[in-house]
Amino acid sequence: MAVRAQFENSNEVGVFSRLTNSYALVAVGASENFYSVFESELQDVIPICHATIAGTRIIGRLTVGNRKGLLVPTTTTDQELQHLRNTLPDSVKIQRIEERLSALGNVICCNDHVALVHPDLERETEEIIADVLGVEVFRQTVADNVLTGSYMALSNQGGIVHPKTSIRDQDELSSLLQVPLVAGSVNRGSPVVGAGMVVNDWLAVTGLDTTATELSVVESVFRLGEMAPGGGPGAGAGAVNKESIVESFY
Amino acid sequence: MVESARIEELLKRPLYVYDLPPELLATLAPKTTNQVPAEPDSEPTPEDPESTVQELAIANSTSCSLCKVPYQNVQEQRSHVRSDHHRYNLKAQLRGNATLDEVQFSKAVGELDESISGSESSESEDEETDAGADTTLTALLKKQAKLSQTNEEATTVKRGSPKHPVFWLSSSSLPSNKSLGIYRAIFSNVEQDELGHLVDSLRRKQLAAVNVRTDNASSPQAPNTSNPHMFMCMIGGGHFAAMLVSLAPEIHRKQGGVEERQARVIAHKTFHRYTTRRKQGGSQSASDASRGAAHSAGSSLRRYNEAELEKDIRELLADWRKEIDTAELLFIRAAGKTNRRILFGQYDGQVLRSNDPRLRGFPFSTRRATQAELMRCFKELTRVKVSEVDEAALAAAEAKKREEVSKPPTPRPQPQKPKMSKEEEAALLHTTQIQAMIRRSKVPALMSYLSNNSISSSFTFQPTDSPQNFRCPTPLHLAANLNSSAVVTALLTRAGSDPTAVNSEGKTPFEIAGDRATRDAFRVARHELGGSKWDWNAAKVPSAVSKSDAESRAERERKTAEDEETNRRKAGMDRLKREDVERATQQKFTKSGGRTLGAVEKTAAEKRDEETRGMTPEMRMRLERERRARAAEERFRRMQGH
Repeated sequence: MAVRAQFENSNEVGVFSRLTNSYALVAVGASENFYSVFESELQDVIPICHATIAGTRIIGRLTVGNRKGLLVPTTTTDQELQHLRNTLPDSVKIQRIEERLSALGNVICCNDHVALVHPDLERETEEIIADVLGVEVFRQTVADNVLTGSYMALSNQGGIVHPKTSIRDQDELSSLLQVPLVAGSVNRGSPVVGAGMVVNDWLAVTGLDTTATELSVVESVFRLGEMAPGGGPGAGAGAVNKESIVESFY
Repeated sequence: MVESARIEELLKRPLYVYDLPPELLATLAPKTTNQVPAEPDSEPTPEDPESTVQELAIANSTSCSLCKVPYQNVQEQRSHVRSDHHRYNLKAQLRGNATLDEVQFSKAVGELDESISGSESSESEDEETDAGADTTLTALLKKQAKLSQTNEEATTVKRGSPKHPVFWLSSSSLPSNKSLGIYRAIFSNVEQDELGHLVDSLRRKQLAAVNVRTDNASSPQAPNTSNPHMFMCMIGGGHFAAMLVSLAPEIHRKQGGVEERQARVIAHKTFHRYTTRRKQGGSQSASDASRGAAHSAGSSLRRYNEAELEKDIRELLADWRKEIDTAELLFIRAAGKTNRRILFGQYDGQVLRSNDPRLRGFPFSTRRATQAELMRCFKELTRVKVSEVDEAALAAAEAKKREEVSKPPTPRPQPQKPKMSKEEEAALLHTTQIQAMIRRSKVPALMSYLSNNSISSSFTFQPTDSPQNFRCPTPLHLAANLNSSAVVTALLTRAGSDPTAVNSEGKTPFEIAGDRATRDAFRVARHELGGSKWDWNAAKVPSAVSKSDAESRAERERKTAEDEETNRRKAGMDRLKREDVERATQQKFTKSGGRTLGAVEKTAAEKRDEETRGMTPEMRMRLERERRARAAEERFRRMQGH
């Protein structure tokens, strides 16, 4: 399911939230609509944590996480870390990282199996990512841009990269990550797909400005129409019926 | 069977790689079972196969566009993306530099100064950890800025996967559980590449031992550079040790025709300077670089010493240039940036180059850089390791593909304290007794002790090496030294002690006698015993005097001394009396003055002044008037009287 949302008149939902398969983080703010989007989709499925990082609301850019863990920057206060620990399930490992590039959401892009990171990230950080998130870490660029987390949105099902990524690079990344990739945009042509949307295996939230075309690309590459939460193997049935359903609309 | 028994016998002695017994060498074969194969990276494929059927299929890329490296499957691609080569190209691309293909990259790594350095921060002694990929990459990127075109034939290839440092060989004449290990590092790079021919190259390496006659010690030990030799050096913590050692062993013939092989050290040198920061650790230059130059006395000392150490080492290397250039192998331990810079840094007349294909690190951990440690390392490197694994352990080893290296034990006999014999104990007891009696001048007790215990006249104090027995090894020496003439006389005349005995300074008892009475005791003894009993001249005892002579002389001397004493006393008494008289007259004279001692005559004016002191001016005027009146009356009376 792909939905549109806005955080206090901002379309960059990836900046103010972080969505994974086992939890969601949303920034503390006045956007009740924003919360309700998440709550309507995720209520009773995964915990939604209202959090700040270092007193700021740009939690989506400062943190990175997947089903197994969450990494927060060194600026995170102890209270915030404790709040996250209290709210998130025990199975999620939370780790604070001493890293010069502290906007972890911008420099790291990951799903539950692999992570693409900024080439200048420290080796210790690379090891922590591998340990806490349980992923294989590759130093890569996306369309010659080091901010992999900003220019790429990735789930276990697929990924969207910067619209100007060459076909050759897309092929290489897709082969490396073993997920289908497309070059696309969100929020009416914004190339920062990582910051413009959040996605997990069954839900994508994009900015309110996202066009229908962009949304359909998102749904198809992340295979959102066919997966229900806790879908599993039977979820593919939706895909089989899709053609006929679409046909019946005509 | 006889053959194998002989070889078994050979293994009991340490085997030298460059001089293996021919019968063993003939049967050697490489052991392949424990060549650890590179572990295949087992990577979970996150995708289920059906996803590829979707219209948005996972692309199947077959080459890296950045590095122009082809690969067959995802595993290869992923290992390539993780490689230094890819990461280097990634950063180069971001910086706008040219990317390198595989050949160019390996060449660049070969030229790299710091390519085999360990972690930069680690100052640890064992630097044998394989080169950290991160530091290699960092160093390469740093160097990339000033990539000069000094294109020497850099034949070194990138040291990629860590290999087992020991190359194992088996011999057909040995039981299967025994294998021989040789360090990989002693083979050249080319030889290491063709593993199949390692035994052949080992055979080529064999050198005839050099016979050394023991009588040519005077011949100059000129370093013969035509012989194969290796250069070894270590730097760490201000210590430096270097050694040129010939690979051909020397045979020394020892007594009984036993041949002993020894390493022939052509030259060796060690330096030590105080450069490390005590208790803080690390070198001064590292500390300066990280937190700014300190201005303490110690820091300037260390800075100076670092510079001096560098100078010393570079001078030494320049001296040895010819030998180093012709050396087969260069074994170098220099952990840390500072130490590596001393050896490999760019300077005029540089001797060692970091891209030298002969360069090796020590493939085991080493201790402080000393000559002994270098020698140990040389032995460790050139000794063939004999590994014995029993069947059960062999099975386990096959499972683990690892083998324990067991070194031949070196038996070290424990030095035992020599047992004291009964006689020595008795002598010790006598020594303490006799010394005590001489010190207290107990002549009769001493005599009876000597006769009761039947102690010989030539008895010397035990233990002979103790400091108190150095000057006085015999009772007579002790008695003479203590100036106890009675004991000397008794020892000489009644106990028959030898006056010619000398102490460790070569002095006879007479020479260490401190006063005349003791010396006279010797001369009297000479008279009484007669000139033939001892060689008195050897005892340095002057001409004999009879007891009466000596006594009369002593009496005479005593008398003169007494006379002198009485004279002196008399003179003293006279002087005292004289002084008393003088003092008495002095007192009389002073008393006649009738004044107190030290009083000064006052003038008339002063007396008047004194009288008028404290009076009011009117009183003073009245007094003056009265006085003048009296003076006037006096004048009149005198005039009338005359």
